Amino acid sequence: MRSSLSIKHLLGLDGVSENDIRVILDTAVEFRKLLDRPVKKVPSLRGLTIVNLFFENSTRTRTSFELAEKRLSADIVNFASSNSSVQKGETLLDTLRNIEAMKIDVVVVRHKGTGVPKFLADHSGAIVLNAGDGAHEHPTQALLDMFTIEQKLGSLKGKRVAIVGDIRHSRVARSDAWGLTTMGASVTFCGPSTLLPRYREDFPAVTWETDVKKSVAGADAVIALRLQKERMEDSLLPSLREYRNYFGVTEEVLEMASPTALIMHPGPINRGVELDSEVADGEHSVILEQVTNGVAVRMSALYLLSGGRANG
Amino acid sequence: MDNVVLQNVRPFVNGIFENPMTVSLVGGKWSREAPPEGTKVIDAKGALALPALFALGLDFQEPVRDDIYTYKDGFNALRRGGFFGGLYESSANPVDGIQKLVAAKDSFANCGFDIRILGAISEGFGGKSLAEMRELVDGGVAGLGDGNKSFGTMRFLRLSLEYGAMTGKRFFFLPYDYSLAHGGYVNEGKFSDKIGMKGVPVQAETIPLYALLSVALWLGVPLHIKQVTSKAALDLIREFRSLHLDVTCDVDIHHLLFSEEDLESLNTNLNLHPPVRTVADKDALWQGLSDGTIQAVSVNHLPVHQEDKTVNFEAAVSGAVSLEIVLPALWNALSHRLGEPRAIEVLSAMPAKIAGANSSKLTLGEDAGLVLFDPSQTTDVSAKTFAGAVENSPFVGTKLQGKILGSYISGFWG
Repeated sequence: MRSSLSIKHLLGLDGVSENDIRVILDTAVEFRKLLDRPVKKVPSLRGLTIVNLFFENSTRTRTSFELAEKRLSADIVNFASSNSSVQKGETLLDTLRNIEAMKIDVVVVRHKGTGVPKFLADHSGAIVLNAGDGAHEHPTQALLDMFTIEQKLGSLKGKRVAIVGDIRHSRVARSDAWGLTTMGASVTFCGPSTLLPRYREDFPAVTWETDVKKSVAGADAVIALRLQKERMEDSLLPSLREYRNYFGVTEEVLEMASPTALIMHPGPINRGVELDSEVADGEHSVILEQVTNGVAVRMSALYLLSGGRANG
Repeated sequence: MDNVVLQNVRPFVNGIFENPMTVSLVGGKWSREAPPEGTKVIDAKGALALPALFALGLDFQEPVRDDIYTYKDGFNALRRGGFFGGLYESSANPVDGIQKLVAAKDSFANCGFDIRILGAISEGFGGKSLAEMRELVDGGVAGLGDGNKSFGTMRFLRLSLEYGAMTGKRFFFLPYDYSLAHGGYVNEGKFSDKIGMKGVPVQAETIPLYALLSVALWLGVPLHIKQVTSKAALDLIREFRSLHLDVTCDVDIHHLLFSEEDLESLNTNLNLHPPVRTVADKDALWQGLSDGTIQAVSVNHLPVHQEDKTVNFEAAVSGAVSLEIVLPALWNALSHRLGEPRAIEVLSAMPAKIAGANSSKLTLGEDAGLVLFDPSQTTDVSAKTFAGAVENSPFVGTKLQGKILGSYISGFWG
C-alpha cells in the first residue's frame, strides 16, 4: 500500500495538494482496519526513531501519536517541556541540536508559537510533523476529521461542514478549512464576532456566520470547538451562559442540520458549553470514533512521510 | 586626519551631481589646493559623492548588551554607512536626569560623529513622574521623548507637554497603544488572521496619534512622530498640519521596503516594532515621502543578539540594524521616485534638522562629510556587512544594488 507524497514534512494543510491528502486518507483506511485486529502492530517503521516534542500540555494528541508510532514499531522518545531543559532556559535550537545529536529521524512537535514546526524543519534534517502550532495549524486533527466524515458519509466532495466556536484562536479550524475545501467540501465558520477572524481575504472559500442555527442548517457535519475559559477573563465574551445560549450546539440547533449529520469535537469537551451532553453522547456523535481514527491517520502520515527512511 | 584625493568622482553640489572630477580632501576640508605629496589617491570610477547622512533612531543597546555591541561598533556602523551623526535614544538607559546626560555625552565625546541625544519626558520612561526637562534642555538635549514607551495617561500627556513647552524643544513620540496591540508582533490583517498570529491593528497607531496631535495643538508644542506606518496615520498628520500644528514625522527604511506579504517567510529579522503593514500602506508611505508629508527616513538601528533571532517568529526580539545598508537598500528606489535632491534631503539634511544638527554640505573650503557610493555595483549583505557581533537585518543573504566605497567624516577616510 505504499504510495508517495510530494511533501517532505507535514507542517500544515495550507498548500497541500488534493492528491497528497487523498493518499494520506486512503492509506489510513488500511491502518484503521489494522486497529480492529487482535494484533495491532506492523513492522513498517522498525528502526526509525521518533521524538514527540511537546512544549504545550497535551494528553490526547500526544497519546494518539505515541500509539500510532508504537503500532508502526518505531522507537520513540517523549520530550515534554514541563520536565525538560527548556525550563532551564535552553533555546529551541539547542533542544533541536541535542535531539539531532541523538540521531532522531522524525520530530512530532507541538508548540504555542506559530511557525515552530517550520523553524524545526528549516534547521534540521529530521522529518517534521506538526502536532499543533499556536493558532496556526493542526493538520493531523483536520485529517482525522476528514477521514471520519468520509468513513461515515462517503466522499467529501459537496459535503457541508459547519465549524462552531472560537475560530480566531483555533488551529483546528484553520487546518480543517484548508483541508476540507481542498477536498471539495464547503465550510462555514460560526462564532461570536470577537472570536472570528476579522480579515478574511486570504482564507479558503469559507462562509461566515454569527447565527449558529443558520450555520448548521443543512450541514452534513458539525464540528464544535473547545471554548477556552480564559476567553471570558480576557473580555472576549460576557459569560459561559450567554455563549451556550447563542453558540452552544444543542439538540434544538442540531435539528437544523441534515438528518444524518455528524457531531464532532476535537476534545476535550466542555459539556454544557459548546456541546450539550445529549448531543455529545447522542446518536449523531462520532467523537470517540474520531479518537480511534486519529491513530490511523497519524500512522498513515508517519508511514508515508518516513517510509523511505525505515526498513519496512 | 586623513588626506585623500578622489578622482573621477561626481560630487553632489548645488542640487546636482557634477560631472566626474578630482576632489582633494585635506585636513577634513574639501580643497582645491594640491594635496601633500604621498596623499592616497582613489579612482572612484564615476561613483557619486553624497553629503554624509544623518541617522534618526540610534540605539546601540549600551550598556545592557555591550557583550555583542558597543559604542565603538556603533561608530563603525555609522562610518561604514556614510553617516556623519545621528539622534541617540537609549531604551536601556533613559537619559532622564542631568547625570545620565553627562554620562551619555561623555560616551560620545571625541567620537568624530555628531551625536545628538534625546532627553526623557518622564522618570525612567515610566510615564508617571516628570523628568527634569528644563535641566536636560539646558544640558543640551536635542529634544524630548520617552523612547518607544506610551505616553501614560491622557492627563500625564497633557502635563508633560504643558511643562515641556517651556523648553521650546520638539517632543518625539512613537504612537503605539500597547493595550490595543495586546502583545502582537505583526500587522493585524489578512496575514495575521490567516496564520493565527497576534496582530497589531492600525488603530493602535492612529488612536494615540490623534491624542498626541490634538494635545500638541492645544498646548502649542512642536511634535515629531517617529516611524509612521500607515496611510491612516499620514492622513491624520496632514489634517493637523493644515491646522498649523508644527509636526514632523519620519518613516523607517524597512517600512518603505517591506509589507506584511513578506512575512510569509517568517523571517525573524522582519519582527520589527512597529510592524510593517499592508502594500497599500507602503505605497502611501512612499507617496507621503514624495509629497513632503514625511520629512525624513529613519534608521532605527537596533542591534539584537543572533540568539534572540534564531528562534521562532513570535519569540524573536524585535528590531533591526540598518546603518550599513541604508544607501544600497534604498538609494535606487529613493532617487528614482523622489529625484536625487529630495532623496538626499530625506536621508541627510532633514533628519539633521529635526535633531537640531547642522547638515552636511559639499562646499569648497568647508568641512567635508561625504559618502562615496557607486549605484552600479552591488552589495552582498552578510554578517560581515555589519559592525559588532550582530546580523539582525532582513537584508542578510540578499544582493543590493549599489555599494558604499567609503566615507570621509571628521577628516577620517574609512
